[in-house]
Amino acid sequence: MRIAIVSTYPPSRGSLNEYAYYFVDHMRQKPEIDEVILLVDELPEGAAYPTPPEHVKIIPAWKFGALDNAMRIRRAVQEVNPDAVLFNVQFATFADTRVAGAVGLTAPALVKQAGYPVVVLLHNIMETVDLSKAGFGANVIMERVTRTAGDMFTRAILSADLVAVTIPKYVEILEAKYGATNVILAPHGSFQDAPPPQFDPNPSVLRIMAFGKFGTYKRVEVMIEAFKLLREQLPGTTLELVIAGTDSPNAAGYLESMKQTYADVPGIVYTGYVAEEDVARIFTEATIVVFPYNSTTGSSGVLHQAGNYARPAVLPDLGDFAELIREEGYTGEFFVPENAASLAEAIRRYWDNPEKRQADSMQNYLSSVGIPISEVVDWYLLHIERLLEARAAKQPS
Amino acid sequence: MEIQISERVIRVQVVTLSGRFDAFSAPDVRQQTQTLLAAGEKYFVLNLRDLAFMDSAAMAVLVSLLKGARTAGGGVTLVKPKDENALRILLLTKFDRVFKMVEDVDTAMREVINV
Repeated sequence: MRIAIVSTYPPSRGSLNEYAYYFVDHMRQKPEIDEVILLVDELPEGAAYPTPPEHVKIIPAWKFGALDNAMRIRRAVQEVNPDAVLFNVQFATFADTRVAGAVGLTAPALVKQAGYPVVVLLHNIMETVDLSKAGFGANVIMERVTRTAGDMFTRAILSADLVAVTIPKYVEILEAKYGATNVILAPHGSFQDAPPPQFDPNPSVLRIMAFGKFGTYKRVEVMIEAFKLLREQLPGTTLELVIAGTDSPNAAGYLESMKQTYADVPGIVYTGYVAEEDVARIFTEATIVVFPYNSTTGSSGVLHQAGNYARPAVLPDLGDFAELIREEGYTGEFFVPENAASLAEAIRRYWDNPEKRQADSMQNYLSSVGIPISEVVDWYLLHIERLLEARAAKQPS
Repeated sequence: MEIQISERVIRVQVVTLSGRFDAFSAPDVRQQTQTLLAAGEKYFVLNLRDLAFMDSAAMAVLVSLLKGARTAGGGVTLVKPKDENALRILLLTKFDRVFKMVEDVDTAMREVINV
């Protein structure tokens, strides 16, 4: 089987690049796969994709922010002529502007019209995105217009043969609101074979870490304010706040402005872009992983990574996280979103209680190793095989 | 005239599960079913009728078994859970369209013979 995957991919810094990296790495090793053709975004001038691993081909086929991405993707698919096409996307994958972003999301429908079986892995749905916080709603009227357009483009996405989402609630929302019958739940999956958990009950440093792309719904102001409170509350403890990652593509310059605003707060480390080989170290060195989100746009890859490395998680009391935790067996300490005192208290509940820290770390670890991404890939392959069989049965003999 | 009579025997492993099939019990089911696969068994009936709950970790065990059985040239048939809490994950994942799913063990046995 030859599968084309439309996605970002490292070293592109677009969202979902890391997910694509692990997904493709496992898919290419499956016996039923002959080739994975990655249709990726063009890199900035001077940058280049590395030599792909065996059974993988990388073809830059679209450009972040461009208006003609859907047409370009359809042409690229027709040129490589795969057995099936998988889109690894969220609402801002193709652009940070409404029009280009929305037009890009018509690509699955165009590819299906061209005669190819299409599966969309949709990491968020418009119904649960706080548009203003995600950078897509400048005011109430624009937010309403964006949401109406979002409904239209969701219907376009639902014209795919299958739409996979990672949270049970999303399946139910799409089925109830759009009458969809082609939406499936496919777990996010853990990125790699997890190492045996390591736990230090008495670390010399309280190292608080947040990981991701910051500036829209992942913001560090409240976390830094909480960090200042903790510094006052724990005078004898060495504290460090690690902000691991870069600006969101929708919030260029955000972290630089935070550096300047909080230049007087000691103990804050901005790592910048975290290369694949450094991810394990960043997580295992953290005492506690904080999720400084004021809304969510979908499932959290970072939560799965925190579990993978057996870290305790401090989470905002938001619907998606509560849902994910209940459904997938994760746990954490919760704080009131955008409330520094509440966040500091949640961190203290872990720091002051090593037994709880260890127990919750172990629970997150067990949950994360529950479904490795290699098995999640099998879920997709079984569904794709079913689609191909159904198509073959319809062909006149 | 010549008459040839041969006997064809298909071995079917009927695995009956009850209670909660979740992240904590899934490793045990996985270990036992993978042991059967490794021993050369390839036809399975998973009787889920009396399960009270099933989650995605449990689903992963079923998928893994299906992949293994198909690779060996066999298959897996499920007996549908009665409880909605157990059935929900099969419907959400649409694996009710991938697995053969029937109402009782006898029907499942007939399905296996038709593989």
